[in-house]
Amino acid sequence: MRINLIGFGVIGKGFAKTLLLKREWLKSRYGFEPVVVSISDISGTLVNPVGIDLASTLETVNRTGKIIDCPGASEMQSLDAIRDVDAEIMVEVTPTNVTTGEPGLSHMLAAMDASKHVVTSNKGPLALAYKKLKSTAEKRDVKFKFESSAGGAMPLINLANEVLSGDEIISIKGILNGTTNFILTKMTKEGTDFETTLKEAQELGIAETDPSYDILGSDTASKLVILTNAILGREATYSDVSVQGITKITPEAIALAKEEGFVIKLIGEVEDGRLSVAPKLVPENHPLNVDGTLNVASFTTDLAGDVTIVGRGAGAIETNSAILSDILSIYRNGAGR
Amino acid sequence: MRIELDVELLDKPGQLIKALEPISRLGGNLISVIHLRETLTKRGRVPVHIIVSLENLETLETLLTELEENDVWVHKVDEVRRKKRLTILLIGHVVDTDIRDTIDRLNNITGVLVADMSLSMPHPEKETSALMDLEISNPKKLAVALDELDLIAREKELTLVKSLEI
Repeated sequence: MRINLIGFGVIGKGFAKTLLLKREWLKSRYGFEPVVVSISDISGTLVNPVGIDLASTLETVNRTGKIIDCPGASEMQSLDAIRDVDAEIMVEVTPTNVTTGEPGLSHMLAAMDASKHVVTSNKGPLALAYKKLKSTAEKRDVKFKFESSAGGAMPLINLANEVLSGDEIISIKGILNGTTNFILTKMTKEGTDFETTLKEAQELGIAETDPSYDILGSDTASKLVILTNAILGREATYSDVSVQGITKITPEAIALAKEEGFVIKLIGEVEDGRLSVAPKLVPENHPLNVDGTLNVASFTTDLAGDVTIVGRGAGAIETNSAILSDILSIYRNGAGR
Repeated sequence: MRIELDVELLDKPGQLIKALEPISRLGGNLISVIHLRETLTKRGRVPVHIIVSLENLETLETLLTELEENDVWVHKVDEVRRKKRLTILLIGHVVDTDIRDTIDRLNNITGVLVADMSLSMPHPEKETSALMDLEISNPKKLAVALDELDLIAREKELTLVKSLEI
């Protein structure tokens, strides 16, 4: 199975590392031998129809930061690589943009138009244009998989749609952002204020230099939209979510809540058709009370009752657990053998 | 859920069935019926004490409506069980924005009561936090209380943190 890899940042490089790490195992367990035939980033594209040497590419890009510096790379743009380099699957892992969805949205639509299956971790296009992407995939008869886009390594979409496929999912709620959970956990344990804790998270590399996407709740909202659409069969977009971040939470409020047996967590929730992201009082002994950078999601179902899953919501290798699972599911369903 | 109901029937034959039929139709399980035929109420009706197991609050609401329609007066419904306690947290200038007014506006909603409150004031200049326990004795008023809370938070520029079950 041949792969166009679009995006070679943290997740893209993690994908290359994962394939190197799992090469023998994938072959012996599933007889699966994926080859990456093109890698594109903003600087250009590296192409090899029989498979790119991932180890040496990683070595070069770790040094220079650009694909164009790899021997044999050209200035070919990502959209041309998608159209012109033969492959069965496109893996789209460019940076997310929740305002325009670009460049990911154009990449995905171009790949579907070229009859390629699409696997992505990119939240922006999904939160903005899910309906269009889904209908294009159906029209072109290709698979569209995005387990890694919401909840990282936690297999939420597959759990709901495959394993629990006999259940009706009534509501979904959870902690879908590790950065805010880290900040709130630290404020709770150490009594520090929001600004100080945010700075500490930035120094540890857990929060971005511009942390607004996480702390204002936008990241959680995007993931909530993806889960709502994929699991509840809706066609929600980002603008349907009422969003409140964690910037107004004070250590005194946390302490007061704690005295009454509550912790404060940023919860994304869809219930009765309403999508909301807001800090909530969570009972200390509740399954959604998980600490640090961990994520958690709970489905309320008609038959199984509540099903809760805890895991790592981010990280280069963790995210690639879900990307690889999507690729394997396409492979095992008979596409591109 | 186990519910105790005190109802009053008209003092004529064939009335008890009007109280029991909807319970059976809604899938309720009758635990006991005490029919005090001899002691009429002040209004000249027959008091009946019913203990029944119902599926959920929604079933109870349907049952209450149907009983009223059947001219069965519902005098008392297991008050304690119908009360729901909710915890909310307000962050901001909670005291300076007239905390009395905040409490009064919630208490003015029938079936809603601010049952308990703790305050944390780190410094007179700094933001205050107030944790409130609301007792909701009429489930239908929950949404009204939440709307009022949202309105108060917006008007007074407070951050409202609701508990998970809301």
